Amino acid sequence: MEIISFYSGFVIPFLVGVSVLFAVVVYKFGRWFVRLPVEDRRLVRKNFFSRATVRALGECFMECLLHRKIWKVNPTLGYMHTAFAFGWFLLIVVGWVETVAYLGWRFVPLQGHIFFKFFTGGEHHWLVMDILLWYVLSGLVLAVYKRFRSRTLGMRRTTKLTFGDRVALSSLWFIFPLRLLAENFSGVMAFWWGYSIALGIFFVAMPFSRYMHIFTEVPLIFLRRWGIRSGERESSFDHFQLEACSRCGICIDPCQLQRDAGFRDVQSAYFIRDRRYNRLTRRVADNCLMCGRCEGRCPVGLQLDTLRLNSRHTLSGTPADGRFEYARKITNNPVISNECEKSTGQTVIASENEAICSNSQSSSSHPLGGRGETKNSQLSTPRIGFFGGCMTLLSPRILQSMEQIFAASGDDVWWADRNGGICCGRPLKLSGDIDAARDMMQMNTQLFEAQGITTLVTSCPICLRVFREDYRLEGIEVLHHSEYIARLIAEGCLSLRDSDEKMTYHDPCELGRGCGIYDAPRQVLASVGELVEPAETRSEALCCGSSLANFVVDDASQVAMARAVGAAFEATGAARVVTACPLCKKAIGRTSSLPTLDLAEVVAEKLNND
Amino acid sequence: MAIDFGYSVSQPRAVDLDRNDLSLAREIVREMPEFSACIACGGCTATCTAGNLTSFNFRLVQTLVRRGEYAGAYAEMNKCMLCGKCRLVCPRGINTRGVVRLIKRKLGDY
Repeated sequence: MEIISFYSGFVIPFLVGVSVLFAVVVYKFGRWFVRLPVEDRRLVRKNFFSRATVRALGECFMECLLHRKIWKVNPTLGYMHTAFAFGWFLLIVVGWVETVAYLGWRFVPLQGHIFFKFFTGGEHHWLVMDILLWYVLSGLVLAVYKRFRSRTLGMRRTTKLTFGDRVALSSLWFIFPLRLLAENFSGVMAFWWGYSIALGIFFVAMPFSRYMHIFTEVPLIFLRRWGIRSGERESSFDHFQLEACSRCGICIDPCQLQRDAGFRDVQSAYFIRDRRYNRLTRRVADNCLMCGRCEGRCPVGLQLDTLRLNSRHTLSGTPADGRFEYARKITNNPVISNECEKSTGQTVIASENEAICSNSQSSSSHPLGGRGETKNSQLSTPRIGFFGGCMTLLSPRILQSMEQIFAASGDDVWWADRNGGICCGRPLKLSGDIDAARDMMQMNTQLFEAQGITTLVTSCPICLRVFREDYRLEGIEVLHHSEYIARLIAEGCLSLRDSDEKMTYHDPCELGRGCGIYDAPRQVLASVGELVEPAETRSEALCCGSSLANFVVDDASQVAMARAVGAAFEATGAARVVTACPLCKKAIGRTSSLPTLDLAEVVAEKLNND
Repeated sequence: MAIDFGYSVSQPRAVDLDRNDLSLAREIVREMPEFSACIACGGCTATCTAGNLTSFNFRLVQTLVRRGEYAGAYAEMNKCMLCGKCRLVCPRGINTRGVVRLIKRKLGDY
């Protein structure tokens, strides 16, 4: 066979581009790997030769090439991404096979594969390569169309581009049409030069643009399969997540700050962009409800909320400073709590007003109080601790309802915070003050352990989430009140009047997407009325808009979001909105024309008091 | 010799706004204009989780800060647990937690 020279002047831009790309990617990955924390590297060593690696390979194929998750969200978008990724991948692989079939097993430099048609003078041709090129071009048509008319592809908004993105995007758009022209008019050198230059520019711009995700998603999938996760403090693994974001913009549409409150530059795609290019501001980092709606849809599966939390820690975390010592003297002192139990050991079920009064007046002398003890204070198993949390304390009707439910259940209940407890620590954690939050968690843990409770019930999903995720409560089962009530009903401990009243249910973010509790509250509701679902429900449910995770939005924005949520409930035709979070209750109840209640209130109302 | 009656009379106290450095206070109000909508009703303080356990008075501290009396304000604000009850009861819809963090940042240099 004749010896082909695989060199021509026009290949230079391509070769330069590939070299730059290779050098930058190796440098970036190398740096991030080296800086991985010791425990992360240990995970890599431990799981390298395991089934996780095989699974990661499979996931790379399904996600990086086929984009399975995007297909699930939106098939047209899925087709577009697959056409680019899988089509281009096949062009490379089949092109390589074609070269081998034509030239046999011999070394062919990179440009020989890429510009195969040029070097062979077009005498060898596979139809499948043409089909593949047209496949990619069909994706390109959709991409161009989407840039100008995103709505037709099912995206109300698409991402705003950075300069690097624009350069890469423009050159990417030219690559395939120029390839088509060059291969069909093989004699015209201008087309080959154009094709090579477009490739060269794209490769140089790639590692500095959103197209870095093409390479980064691969190590991300492997590291994730090996068990590495981002945590409450920034770490080198975060880089893999940040640069694996393709800014596809799927996170933008579900964001209620965007669609109801008009914030256009705080969504996860922009947060990650800003953090990646070191221009993250507190305003962007802090302006997020952390409702988790975007995280659930992210096709790359990024830990969007975790990344935002550790950014908050870096940007605005303040030292713990022992700032809650004033609370420690109370939670830490079993003597005080015993005295309280002695003094008020008999059965006292305080009325709503009494509960508040005792809360504000007698807190210094009865910091913990045994006022709510429904039975004698002797330790007997099982013993339930009820932690209302700050928000429940602001909703006396929920407290009162829980009293009635506990009384009907006959359980031995210790009221952890009715007469002055401390916060669960989640708000501080959300603000980035993780050390201070830890202090608070430790104090509450001591308090719970000193009381010898076996079950901790809370009516606040915010508290529930931090109890489950961050507390180490050995031997204490943590339940949301919806789970507790559902259990009581299942065990036949509660006698409830069923009705045919239509009620709709609001999934609180921290309870649903946060803790995965969707069914328990629905079971409870089904036993007292008829449940009608809003359009967006369960994992797609809307946020009430008043999330404690957001430190930026003003009152008007909160109201705007609450209105939108309220309208969705009114559309169901239900008579009442029921939720399972005191904060959601207040947020929705502010604007909704329907009465908004907590699950406990509805249950207490339907109790058979005989 | 003074007799201890078990209580005392508050000394008259004048705040000299000309002598106080109001630059930080102005900066804070500029960053969060809603801060100046406060009517000092004290709802925040009445409902405060921290205030229930120790002497912590959000209304007092924010008033002092606005007058340029910053001494001890950072340490006071540090008592806040950011639980958000105050925001829910605020009749002016002020983002109180935002105010707490802003004051801390300006005075504590974080």
